[in-house]
Amino acid sequence: MEGVSALSCPESSETTWTLDIGYWADLKGSRMALAQTTKATEQGDLQIARGRRSLLQRDGVLAWLFMIPGWTVLVLFMGYPFFLGIWLSLTDKMLGFSQYDYIGLQNYRDLWADSIFQQTLRNTAYYGVGTVPFKLLFGLGLALLLNRQFRFSRFFRAGLLLPWIVPTALSSLAWLMLFSSVLSPISLVLRQWGLIDQNINFLGDAWNARISLCIANIWRGVPFFAISILAGLQAVPTELVEAAALDGASRWDRFRAVIFPVIKPIVLITTLFSIIWTISDFQLVYVLTKGGPANETHVLGTYAYQIGMNATQIGQAAAISLYMFPALALGAILLLRSVRGGDTQ
Amino acid sequence: MNDRRIDDLVSEAKSLRYSRRQVMRRATALGLSVPVVSAALTASAYAAPGEVRKFAKAPAQLEGTKINVLGASYFVPAGQERFDAQLKEWGDQNGVEVSVDYVAWPDLQAKIGASIQAQSGPDIVQLWDPWPYLYQENLVDVNDIAGPLGEAAGGFYDWVVKTASVDGSWHSIPYGTSSSAYVYRPSYFQQVGAETFPDTWEELFTVGKALKEMGKPLGQALGHSLGDPPSFTYAYMWAYGAMEVEEDGTTVAFNKPEFVDGMGTFIQGWKDAFDETGLAWDDSANNTAYLSDQLSATLNGSSIYLKAMGPEADGGVPEIAADTNHADFPQGPAGRFTNIGAQSWGITTYSDNIDGAKSFLEYWYSTDQLTSWYEANGGYYIPAAPNYTSLAVYTEDPKLAPYLNLVNYGRNKGYAGPSDDSAALSYSKYIVIDTFAKAVQDGDAQGAIEWGADQLERIYGD
Repeated sequence: MEGVSALSCPESSETTWTLDIGYWADLKGSRMALAQTTKATEQGDLQIARGRRSLLQRDGVLAWLFMIPGWTVLVLFMGYPFFLGIWLSLTDKMLGFSQYDYIGLQNYRDLWADSIFQQTLRNTAYYGVGTVPFKLLFGLGLALLLNRQFRFSRFFRAGLLLPWIVPTALSSLAWLMLFSSVLSPISLVLRQWGLIDQNINFLGDAWNARISLCIANIWRGVPFFAISILAGLQAVPTELVEAAALDGASRWDRFRAVIFPVIKPIVLITTLFSIIWTISDFQLVYVLTKGGPANETHVLGTYAYQIGMNATQIGQAAAISLYMFPALALGAILLLRSVRGGDTQ
Repeated sequence: MNDRRIDDLVSEAKSLRYSRRQVMRRATALGLSVPVVSAALTASAYAAPGEVRKFAKAPAQLEGTKINVLGASYFVPAGQERFDAQLKEWGDQNGVEVSVDYVAWPDLQAKIGASIQAQSGPDIVQLWDPWPYLYQENLVDVNDIAGPLGEAAGGFYDWVVKTASVDGSWHSIPYGTSSSAYVYRPSYFQQVGAETFPDTWEELFTVGKALKEMGKPLGQALGHSLGDPPSFTYAYMWAYGAMEVEEDGTTVAFNKPEFVDGMGTFIQGWKDAFDETGLAWDDSANNTAYLSDQLSATLNGSSIYLKAMGPEADGGVPEIAADTNHADFPQGPAGRFTNIGAQSWGITTYSDNIDGAKSFLEYWYSTDQLTSWYEANGGYYIPAAPNYTSLAVYTEDPKLAPYLNLVNYGRNKGYAGPSDDSAALSYSKYIVIDTFAKAVQDGDAQGAIEWGADQLERIYGD
């Protein structure tokens, strides 16, 4: 209301709060007058601008102009760091020292022969294989459950997003407490029940630590699958499902032949996204184990960080990060192709 | 004539509270004989060597500037509060806007690295050994402050010069280090028949076995953390005759038969005597475990004891404090060793307030301020120079004596080579720690040590 009164008329301070028909009519009149003036001005401008316009209408020119801001952002914030990363990976740059040399592919060769790096690659593979299929399975199951109408279904759908929207650094800290070797509530309860006599070694044993990390990662990643697939399920025409049911198709047949083909593109894209994110994960592993014990849980992100930020070998750290690139690029290409395929269908 | 000018200078020094160095500079400028002025100062009881250095107010041009400090979170909260108060007091006195950020120990170096890479961030940074070596190009030369400070305090210890200076040149100013000793529960040790703390590692593992059977194992972090894991692993490696590298700094001396034997002993000892979840511990886990009565002994700074003695509202546990004592590191066949390296404060070259940062550090390192900080830390930090070791905080409580002993048997990381970038790299990659972690996980002493030697070869071998 304040905004209207300020715009309305000189006497607004006295008339604003009373409904004055005459005033509103005046206002309407003056708006029409204003519109006519604007139209006339535009026509004049059009004539002047005709020459310029023809240039703008030329094929592509306008399109390129519109793309410039986007390209600028891409080049500045993605292109520059990416090419700087490639350059650094070919040098022996140490953080803090201004002198460094071009050493070709030496960093990549060194890493290939480095047993910690080999371990890191294996761990990254375990991490991907140990999480993505489970996230997909649980996400799909949850989505199918939540797609049914039941009491509080909206509440549960919203609640499902919680692990996804809580900042990972925070949820990782909660997992760190749960997995604590000294004060884990899980160990505490089991000890009180007399089921164990020593704290569970969640993060101090190679496989326990890997499994613990996978559990926390699955917990965090399931909602993304569930919500994405749920959105896909909403698009499945109910008539088709009902028709199939009437034709005697079993529950499994309905899912396999009617529902899954519709949600398939979404499942595919979600899985690919998840693979990329899992391979490049950092926060969860850094907070829970920092790559320990004895590098048994290092993934590419945490090892690159340790080498670059702590051991100050920025060149080698860049090479570690770029080892991810072929896998991630392949993922991205597949992702784009599947999206385009979905469009043409 | 000469005498009057000396008298004038002495009274000027008194009224303006000059440092001894400032007086000497002024004496030279006035063309006075430095030894005579020095004698006059001593006679007037102004500034005898090692005496309290008064802080002179910083120049007025600092007013309106800003200083940001980056340090690691304290394990003794009173020490952190004291530092905050000192920074604020100096800021108020000089009209400088001050701020300080504390990060967890393992994050400190990354934060410094990121600031240096971006050439923007804190003006003053806390440095551990051997970081001054790594960041020397980005740290302001502070020889003018560190040199006289060391002299006035009786000369920096050799271990300080080795680990905080860059080949004898100061790029940061050392204050000492958090130290380590065995923190143990005498009553538990007595219950298994040990009247005193074991003197050798093997004896400790034997006693520890009985303690673990009693439900009170030994505790040791072997995870990726910067404080407690290197404390133990470097000490044990040296005690069994191995080291990262020979004196030449390039010949790796890690894979020694006596060390393989020692590692075999440790693998068994770890199973028998230690809480095996230690593989996942960071620097605070053993504090928590000890204070919640889960351990009989652990290697740590005095922070456990100091916290136990504190008010119960802040986590104090009087009965554990009463039943806690400290002991030197046990020895092995090659002797008794520990890792020691000085911590220091440095000024970043990118800072736009280097004068302000220097002025604050001159104030903070003045004898009365530094003394109050050592005192607030309750003996947790051992000093970088001998004159401070006579402070009551180091002598009053005999239980804390082992912490000062450390200086007698400490070695730098990278020993027998220098504390340089290779030592820093090996430390940052947790090579020595991971050798132990691998050994206890795989049960293969020889394999783990070969792995460690190979990694060290990649670091030192070039």
